[in-house]
Amino acid sequence: MIFGMRRALLGFLLVLWAGVAAAQPNLAPGFTKLPPNSTIALMPADVELFEISAGGVGEPRADWTAAASKHLMADLRARKQKLGARATEITGDQDEAVEALNGLHGAVARAIVVHHFGGLKLPTKDGKLDWTLGPDAAKLQVKSGADYALFTWVRDSYASAERKAMMVVGALLGVGMTGGVQQAYASLVDLRTGQVVWFNRIVRGTGDLREPEPAAETLTALLTGFPL
Amino acid sequence: MRLKPWLAAAALCALAGCAQIVKVEPGQVTIKETLKLTTTSAWNRFELQFPLSVAPGASEVWTQDGITLDALAFFVGVAQGQTLGSALPGVSKKLPPFRGTMTPGEIVELYEQLVTQDGSAFALKRVAPGRFGGQPGFRFEHTITRKSDNVLLKGVAQGAVVKDKLYLVAFTAPSIYYYDRHLPQVEPLMASAEIRAP
Amino acid sequence: MQRRPFLLGCGCLAFAAAAGVRADDYDYQVPPRFARPEAGTDEGGLWAYMDREEQRLKRSSFLIRDPALHGYVNGIACRLAGEHCPEMRVYLVRTPYFNASMAPNGMMQVWSGLLVRMQNEAQLAAVLGHEIGHYLQRDSVERLRDAKSRSSFGLIVGLALGAVGGGSVGSLAQMGILAGGLAYGRDQERVADKIGIALMARNGYAPAEAGRVWGQLLEEAEGAKAAGEDVSSTNILFASHPPAEERREVLAAAAKRDWPGAARTGADEYRAALAPHRMGFLYDEVRRRRFGESLVLFDRLLKSSPRDGQVQYFKGEAYRQRGREGDTRLALEAYRAALEMDSTPPEVHRSLGTVLRQAGENAEATRAFQRYLELKPGAEDAELIRSYLTGSQS
Repeated sequence: MIFGMRRALLGFLLVLWAGVAAAQPNLAPGFTKLPPNSTIALMPADVELFEISAGGVGEPRADWTAAASKHLMADLRARKQKLGARATEITGDQDEAVEALNGLHGAVARAIVVHHFGGLKLPTKDGKLDWTLGPDAAKLQVKSGADYALFTWVRDSYASAERKAMMVVGALLGVGMTGGVQQAYASLVDLRTGQVVWFNRIVRGTGDLREPEPAAETLTALLTGFPL
Repeated sequence: MRLKPWLAAAALCALAGCAQIVKVEPGQVTIKETLKLTTTSAWNRFELQFPLSVAPGASEVWTQDGITLDALAFFVGVAQGQTLGSALPGVSKKLPPFRGTMTPGEIVELYEQLVTQDGSAFALKRVAPGRFGGQPGFRFEHTITRKSDNVLLKGVAQGAVVKDKLYLVAFTAPSIYYYDRHLPQVEPLMASAEIRAP
Repeated sequence: MQRRPFLLGCGCLAFAAAAGVRADDYDYQVPPRFARPEAGTDEGGLWAYMDREEQRLKRSSFLIRDPALHGYVNGIACRLAGEHCPEMRVYLVRTPYFNASMAPNGMMQVWSGLLVRMQNEAQLAAVLGHEIGHYLQRDSVERLRDAKSRSSFGLIVGLALGAVGGGSVGSLAQMGILAGGLAYGRDQERVADKIGIALMARNGYAPAEAGRVWGQLLEEAEGAKAAGEDVSSTNILFASHPPAEERREVLAAAAKRDWPGAARTGADEYRAALAPHRMGFLYDEVRRRRFGESLVLFDRLLKSSPRDGQVQYFKGEAYRQRGREGDTRLALEAYRAALEMDSTPPEVHRSLGTVLRQAGENAEATRAFQRYLELKPGAEDAELIRSYLTGSQS
């Protein structure tokens, strides 16, 4: 019964995140690609990696998280340079206004994940990616000197060796156990208007952010269709 | 950590398809056969079998931008002895019952209890008499600091007690951008309300 | 990382012999300064994770940022922690539950539900000393290791909650690793109690106050039971091992030892430090709707401060909000008593008016509302209250 519940929950998660398989535009109406010579502010990646122990406890692994953040940010920077857009980074202590915008973006991103990509579509949106942070986003523009901001958010978990062993046992008994789920989103915001111009999310059972190459693969998946 | 029962229900519910969102077209709408409203814009109405923490136990919840952003909650015909809204599953605090003789100040307290169940903070900014549904009633403005993500919401609500039953419409949205964006649609909607009390 | 054994070195024997006191566990030797653990270790992971939680806490709207109150509590914690003071950061959080905690990275939290329940500075010192004890013993790492071998839905539930916007995925509270879900073990609590009382006594506080903290909580729980309210499952008394009665007895006995120079309670200083915030904390307390506990708390505060009109007002609020048979009369009595006391808030007149109006005493209600408006003309509900007077409200 316990493991059945877990599967149901994962199913719910997938329903909310993955939604019905239909063409979901990742671009806001009227936006096709970044203008040349745009500057993009890379918001500090919100990353958390966990190890799942045999009993299913998720233990935060700071070393993995640090490695993943490093790989992701390095890869992001490399891509920016390769593809011609300039990137800056917002680091250090944020002021209250920036913090509030960050918080609002989190709420907007969750709304997009649930209502645009997920199973609870909003009929009034008519399938369009039409969300914004509002004109206050200009504060971020002033702070960063950039025209756009890229937010990334990643939660990923990995089965420990003991956990993997448990999963094998579980499979033999006909009991499904999760080995770890990777969920992430990337969001590109036009700082002059606050409009979310591009958004992508992934949820899957594969991927490894702890090493540079698989991390780059995750970022490739996450940035599929990035409008450059 | 114990599995929250509502999550399990939600999971099974979602897989069975009992969660959906239905469009509310502009025009006249009647909620629970007693609260009639006119809306000039379209909305999205939630039909969920489990409580949303933004307004658990509301008769209906509408939104334009989504569950984490704006929410227009209708509480229609709360009777003597009933609670305004319902308890969030997993919260042990029992909500106080509505009484027909309550002052608007006491009704604001009911609303505060409802929306602070998840640990969010409520601050009343203003409460004044007004008309609602064609009856003498009240209006209040407030802020809610949402516990889960620290987002500051602004809110406005209007209500009236008619034949010992409470009718309340409450709108909340993030103070950055979303409240001001939707308020011009919410105010006329609230002003259009008619209570057809049985 | 090995758990540090409780030190009973020769040094303490010598001291004890010189003082003519029997050597025992209360001669706690504070360990030397901690170094930050390696990132790859489980302790390092926990430490870094708590660093991120601390960043989040710093941005929270629920953090009490008043430098005066923060400085006061920080000063007490710092004195108790001695040479470990530079490792600590103290955070005061506005939430009406009884809790104080200290994370392995030195982040200490004290919740307002605890602050409002302390009778004096010594009681606060006892609690802070206890938490510092857990920190010095590195108890949280032990618990994490224990948890790893136990089943938990923490991760999947956290992911699902994250998906519906119910909280940041992986937040510690949802993981149930430390906050709330993971009580310290029986022996860890006993040791922390001993360290706490030793630290407070060494800093001149009266050790008898430590046991009183538990006695006070027990009384509140009894009040809840007597009132027919169920004591909530998150109540600290029921989450703790050993049982609260045992801790009260052990601490009371420990206080009877010879603690030279440990006599200070600091009741006046504590009251003064808390004063600018206490009304908000009492408001939160009533809003919890645990009236049996609240009324016991208010009566205790009134016992030591019989003319405290602010507490008396909230006693009335508790009766009014509870609204049982006979509570209207009790609320009226409480409000009227408050009028005779000091520092009574103007809101008492509004509450009087509300209750009188319900009892049909319209003339007296009107007078009460008028008095409220005189005292608080700019109140957020002034327009509403005025409408009661003009009778435009049915």
